[in-house]
Amino acid sequence: MTESSSTTVAAAAPPRARQLVSQLLQGDQPYMLYVAFVIMLVVFSAASPHFLSFDNFLNIGRQTALVSIMAVGMTFVIIARQIDLSVGSTLALSGMCAALAMAHVYDSWLVGAVAGIGTGALVGFINGVLTTRLAIPSFLVTLGTLSAARGLAMLITDTKPVIITSDPYIELFGETTFLGIPAPIAWTLLAIVIGILLLHFSIYGRQIYAAGGNPTAALYSGINTRRVTTLAFVFTGMLAGLAALVLSARSHAARPDVVQGIELDVIAAVILGGCSLFGGRGFILGTVLGSLIIGTLNNGLVLLGVSSSLQLVIKGAIIVAAVAFTKR
Amino acid sequence: MKGMDSRFRGSDGISSTATSNSMNSPAQLSPQTPLVRVSGVTKSFGGVHALRGVDLEVFPGEVHALLGENGAGKSTLIKILSGVHKHDSGRIEIAGREVRFASPAESRAAGVAVVYQDLSLVESLSVGANLMLGREPQTRFGFLKKRQLMTEVSAFLREHGIPLDPRATVGSLPFAYRQMTEISKALMGDVRILILDEPTSALTEGEEKILFDAVRTVTQRGVGVIYVTHRLNEVFRISQNVTVFRDGANAGSFVTAKTDMKQLVTAIVGPGHAALGADAPIQKTREVAVSASKPVLTLSRVTNDCLNCVDLNVHAGEIHGLAGLIGSGRTEILETIFGLRAVEQGEIRIEGVALSNRKPRTAIEQGVALVPEDRQVQGLVLDHAIERNLTLPRLPHFSRLGWLDRIGAMTQARAVVSKLAVKAPSASTVVKNLSGGNQQKVVFGKWHQPRPRVLLLDEPTVGVDVGAREEIYALVNEAARSGTAVLVVSSDLAELLRLCDRISIVADGAIVETVGREAIDGTEALHHLIQLPRAAAQAS
Repeated sequence: MTESSSTTVAAAAPPRARQLVSQLLQGDQPYMLYVAFVIMLVVFSAASPHFLSFDNFLNIGRQTALVSIMAVGMTFVIIARQIDLSVGSTLALSGMCAALAMAHVYDSWLVGAVAGIGTGALVGFINGVLTTRLAIPSFLVTLGTLSAARGLAMLITDTKPVIITSDPYIELFGETTFLGIPAPIAWTLLAIVIGILLLHFSIYGRQIYAAGGNPTAALYSGINTRRVTTLAFVFTGMLAGLAALVLSARSHAARPDVVQGIELDVIAAVILGGCSLFGGRGFILGTVLGSLIIGTLNNGLVLLGVSSSLQLVIKGAIIVAAVAFTKR
Repeated sequence: MKGMDSRFRGSDGISSTATSNSMNSPAQLSPQTPLVRVSGVTKSFGGVHALRGVDLEVFPGEVHALLGENGAGKSTLIKILSGVHKHDSGRIEIAGREVRFASPAESRAAGVAVVYQDLSLVESLSVGANLMLGREPQTRFGFLKKRQLMTEVSAFLREHGIPLDPRATVGSLPFAYRQMTEISKALMGDVRILILDEPTSALTEGEEKILFDAVRTVTQRGVGVIYVTHRLNEVFRISQNVTVFRDGANAGSFVTAKTDMKQLVTAIVGPGHAALGADAPIQKTREVAVSASKPVLTLSRVTNDCLNCVDLNVHAGEIHGLAGLIGSGRTEILETIFGLRAVEQGEIRIEGVALSNRKPRTAIEQGVALVPEDRQVQGLVLDHAIERNLTLPRLPHFSRLGWLDRIGAMTQARAVVSKLAVKAPSASTVVKNLSGGNQQKVVFGKWHQPRPRVLLLDEPTVGVDVGAREEIYALVNEAARSGTAVLVVSSDLAELLRLCDRISIVADGAIVETVGREAIDGTEALHHLIQLPRAAAQAS
């Protein structure tokens, strides 16, 4: 750097660490999200004596694990200016494939894991290829796979659940603890760390931001936007597969009719977390926070004894209000 | 021309003729009453004083040029006149009546029409439907009279000599034609004051002439025109008076006939600016032996859906211009070289190496760089920081096993920002917040390091102010001096003559002829060369 740069680049250049922290915590959004979360914690703590406890927070973590894991992938898809409505169905199909592979191919947790995550990757790949090669809007493509993958999951066993007997599998994905952290939360943390590394520290992260922020400019900069976008769908599918492993291990069975409608919670978490539906903006920790806000809301309303019907209404209103609030 | 509006109001001609007469009749105003009088208007955004008390008077039938660098306050004043912003203090009169527009609709109702640089057309509709949007002729039951709509629009376009097909879908038109649609749309209503914000930035000279004729036609109706431009030669061709803004204040008012280029540039950039030396005869410090060296870029008989047997050589250190009308295939030649369009026949060689399957990625690896025509759509991710944009085409250089070298990327971005004198608080500034000239410098900066072998420039100074334009010319010259082969497309003929060593004339997807700079005697001569192929085609 030359002397003149000090005038144009000004007094910028904060220490590297601070810059890093600000990018991870803030994204492009102000701190309103954190404020909203804290307000919610305070309100529930004041209203319910059971809310503010370590066990309850672990509870929230376990309950939000599925949404959080898939929301990490959805962050990539939405940053790429796409949407994936099929994550819930992908989860169901992946769980069935994992359980069936263990029941009929070889009874090992590894076979189940490969089958589950592989199925998710395949559905994601199909979503990505149809979206980028045939130029069908991803909303329509994934609306199709939302229905098709669910139907396929039900077809395989004629809607019957598949029992999982592999104890190592149930231990690893559902019941063990790593350093005191319950498995579902540990797998969520792993997904978050991978998401952060990919999005904020890899070349691929830069490409996906550009492909969503301005696909034309990305193309004119030599970026293979099709490949980049397809990979986002594949990654999301794989995480839906991981979520399927966690869910099936906890319930000792894979069922084809699980988590219907979960895609809406996943998308709400990502948008709440500061992603722009117009692409090019978002950050992983925001998504995590968005997911925690939704989870905390569910948990807190249950503790307050609010009826489940009213819970839905309150949840919907708070999500819309929070998005309006954070977008200013 | 009077009463023209009534014909475009639909079937009930009687009532609307009455209104258009009261609105449009120039006789209502004495020529001494200005249509627009702006006096002492101020406006600040936050702590930034965008306008510090400016004055402007526009009379009926006058074309008044408004000049100034980006950030001088022109856009702010236009936004106040069009009702987007409200002024803080000062006085604005339209036809002698003080106004304070609360919304664009109020401004429009008072007869102020603005044609912005960024267009406001519905791309999925036809030209005709766009022109009549919101005032479509209807049957008694509210159904659209489509045939009547098209007839009216055709008549209007014919009358103004505007070469647009009312049935064409706007989204399918080249940029210049969309711009003409936008201007036609502004002309169709009850317009008393027409504000044109850089209307010619993407027009060729032929289209420019059509636009100017249309502008003259409306001024005969008593309309006052405020004409914002960065191209000074246009000022002398179209305007009667000139007002110059600098740093949010008046920097001079001139009668066009009594001023000259030099005086205007001085007023725009202020005394003691480097750009003032720009009018001096060009002294080529570069020695280009075009015939001696081997060409860096060779196109031989390149053919695809837009190009027809294009042959072209560009040598190291040469600046080669492509001149032609809009739609002649100039841009497509650049896009094909950059791998955005497939080559069906023929081949493209970079330093002797041909590639079978060209993609932007492989073209970049070969050392080809493109500064595209539309920097906001093709050149930049506007919502992202300068650093992210600068790094984009060079991501593999900052990759360590797929991980991003964040420090390296930031360091180089800072270096480029300071080298190209991008005026921004830091390399993390979001590109959207920069002025046009600085945005264009960022696009150039994307290809600054390492030096490209072939630099393709498409309209490199559109929407760029005088000062930044000189800096961009300096960048181009510097690239050529260090051995880059430069290929420039421009509709600004003076720009081509200033920059280029050789100029190729493009028509119908082919290169008609290539001439040395010294063989062309001024923009007039170049203009003739461009028009010649079309004239020949029409004659045969």
